[in-house]
Amino acid sequence: MKNFKKTFFVSMLVVFLLLGLFSGMATAEEKIIKIGTVFPLTGPCALAGARCKAAVETAAEVINNIYPDINVPLADQSGILDGYKIVLVHADHQGKPDVGKTETERLLNQEKVYAIIGSYNSSVSKPASFVTEIQKKIFMCGASSSAALTERDFKYFFRMAPTDKTESIGFAETLTWLNEAKNANLKTVGIIYENSEFGKHAADEGKAAAEAAGFEVIADVAFTPGATNLNSEVQTLKAKNPDAVFGACLGGDYSLWVRTMKQMNWLPKISLNYCSGYQDPIITQQLGDDANYFMGGTGYSPEFAELMPAVAAVEEIYKAKTDPSVPFDSDSIQEAVALFVLAQAIEKAGTLDTETVRDVLYANEWESPLSMGGKVAFIEGGQNVKAMSMKTQLQNGLYVRVFPPELATHEIVYPMVPWDKR
Amino acid sequence: MTMFFQVAIDGLLMGMVYALVASGLSLIWGVMDVINFAHGEFLMVAMYVSYWLGFLMKVDPIVSWIASGIFCFILGAITYRLIIRQCLGGPALSALLATFGLSMILKNICLNRFSPNYRLLTGTLLDGKKILLGDLVVPLPQLITGLSALAIVLVIFYIIKKTRLGWAIQATAMDKEAAELMGIKTDWIFAFVFGLGGACVGIAGGLMPSYLAVHPEVGGLFSLIAFIAVAMGGFGSIHGALLAAIFIGLVEAFGGFYVAPVFKYVVVFGLYVIVVMFKPKGLFGW
Repeated sequence: MKNFKKTFFVSMLVVFLLLGLFSGMATAEEKIIKIGTVFPLTGPCALAGARCKAAVETAAEVINNIYPDINVPLADQSGILDGYKIVLVHADHQGKPDVGKTETERLLNQEKVYAIIGSYNSSVSKPASFVTEIQKKIFMCGASSSAALTERDFKYFFRMAPTDKTESIGFAETLTWLNEAKNANLKTVGIIYENSEFGKHAADEGKAAAEAAGFEVIADVAFTPGATNLNSEVQTLKAKNPDAVFGACLGGDYSLWVRTMKQMNWLPKISLNYCSGYQDPIITQQLGDDANYFMGGTGYSPEFAELMPAVAAVEEIYKAKTDPSVPFDSDSIQEAVALFVLAQAIEKAGTLDTETVRDVLYANEWESPLSMGGKVAFIEGGQNVKAMSMKTQLQNGLYVRVFPPELATHEIVYPMVPWDKR
Repeated sequence: MTMFFQVAIDGLLMGMVYALVASGLSLIWGVMDVINFAHGEFLMVAMYVSYWLGFLMKVDPIVSWIASGIFCFILGAITYRLIIRQCLGGPALSALLATFGLSMILKNICLNRFSPNYRLLTGTLLDGKKILLGDLVVPLPQLITGLSALAIVLVIFYIIKKTRLGWAIQATAMDKEAAELMGIKTDWIFAFVFGLGGACVGIAGGLMPSYLAVHPEVGGLFSLIAFIAVAMGGFGSIHGALLAAIFIGLVEAFGGFYVAPVFKYVVVFGLYVIVVMFKPKGLFGW
């Protein structure tokens, strides 16, 4: 019996050693590029995080396989660099900056990923990209919109989406156009925003843009994300009664804000929203008629199909990865763009050397059928200068284009229809 | 002056809801010396029960709160039988950590089963309805929720103070062994109290989907405020929790409007710190 135990132990040891050896050989022979994603998969922004993750998975699937019917770069070949496949390693930052930083370190140091894609929340992208910058690894940021992220002179950070600064200027231009073209007589602006990196930066940019365009900012309302109620916030807005309101409210806070305004029987004449609950098709659907006549910056919506015809085929893959099945939104599509652009850069560089790929990213203008305008190009600091969005308004549950006038498909409904007349 | 009264109405209505959430917590602590860290997740589960009844079977929250209350009563009783009962003989920390673990389990089950989606019930009987008193607006969903919460807290208070069951609960809270010698089945009382605590938060959660989105994280801040209300009112004191919760609702509303909306919770927590400095056992603690 003693001998049997000894033999069994030695045999198992040999088996494990061999397994370890062969698995090592297999890994060495595999042609894979590990890309880490850091999104909020749990916590208050988990819904947005799940969609961003699905978007990156969609891009990886298109890159790794041959899709002759899909009209985006790399879809007609299998993998990049003569057969290298993208393998995604996902991490959950829970919407917490410290967790985001730790998870990025783990992905780089333990999982040995080549680059990072993320992080949706600007507050997380900031510390997470510090880690990649120190380790000289590429950080492809899809949707984080804080302008400050690309004002740090980082060398390895690239952002696809328009910034809050761009959006704010667009909001102010919309108000100016309404005054000039429609005699709207808009004079005052209020801003409501969540007390976070994203919200505070959006509010700062909104104030700066509104004041630069000659509007007076009379209400500055910050709130705690995930609040039990937004009564004080809406009462404050109602008391100041600004003509226009800029909103930076994510997810459930957005629906609570809209519903509280309805309960308080108050609306501004016009409401323009940053990347927020406004862009969430499910929230829009659930709010029903209450969601109508709100406006916002939109980088993608299914209603833009004629402007971005290549999206539809990719979107079918994306829909299969989301539950419930939803089309791309302005944020998630930017995360797919991030991987497509990175893969193109690796392919063009012909190497996985990070310095070379980074230089190639800066040196070229990239085809991006999933971006409005169809191109991506980066300037110092990593901002995509081709990023753009249009001002849409929800009319009958659809995001219709209302500004700029040359690209508008519908007349803007102004002022917003009061609650009791809907 | 209109705005002053409007803010007061908002604060009162919110305070009543906090009171119902807090009273369940206070009851469990008062009788069993157990802090239920899963209280916020009980609220979240109750909201899901009400939401799914509304979404799938078109049952309005004005009715489905009964089902949410019963569901959370059963959930509470099962929690006691399966988890808390095993911890009562051990260190005090074990029950607390067990409920913390339960909160993680409930949250992640809902996240996995229902996804992180924000779910809204629209077209409910009270949806968008309001009472206009001159310039004052009283939203009907919050009014009904607040008044129901107040009524249920008063019923529980009556049960505890005026009925034989309530006396048995009080006796168990005071001296478990002496209560057992008097023939009180303390194990049954504990299960009932944990269930009743769950029912309180279940009823509150059942009424809320008529105006608040349901998602796996929704219970977090509610439970934190409930803890503050229980601690401020005095651990184990239901009337203390009721008054503290209404006070918190008012402070939150006035602080949010007259100081700054972003500081409304800061004002609440600041007030709690001040109360604890002068009355460490809370306003009505002993």
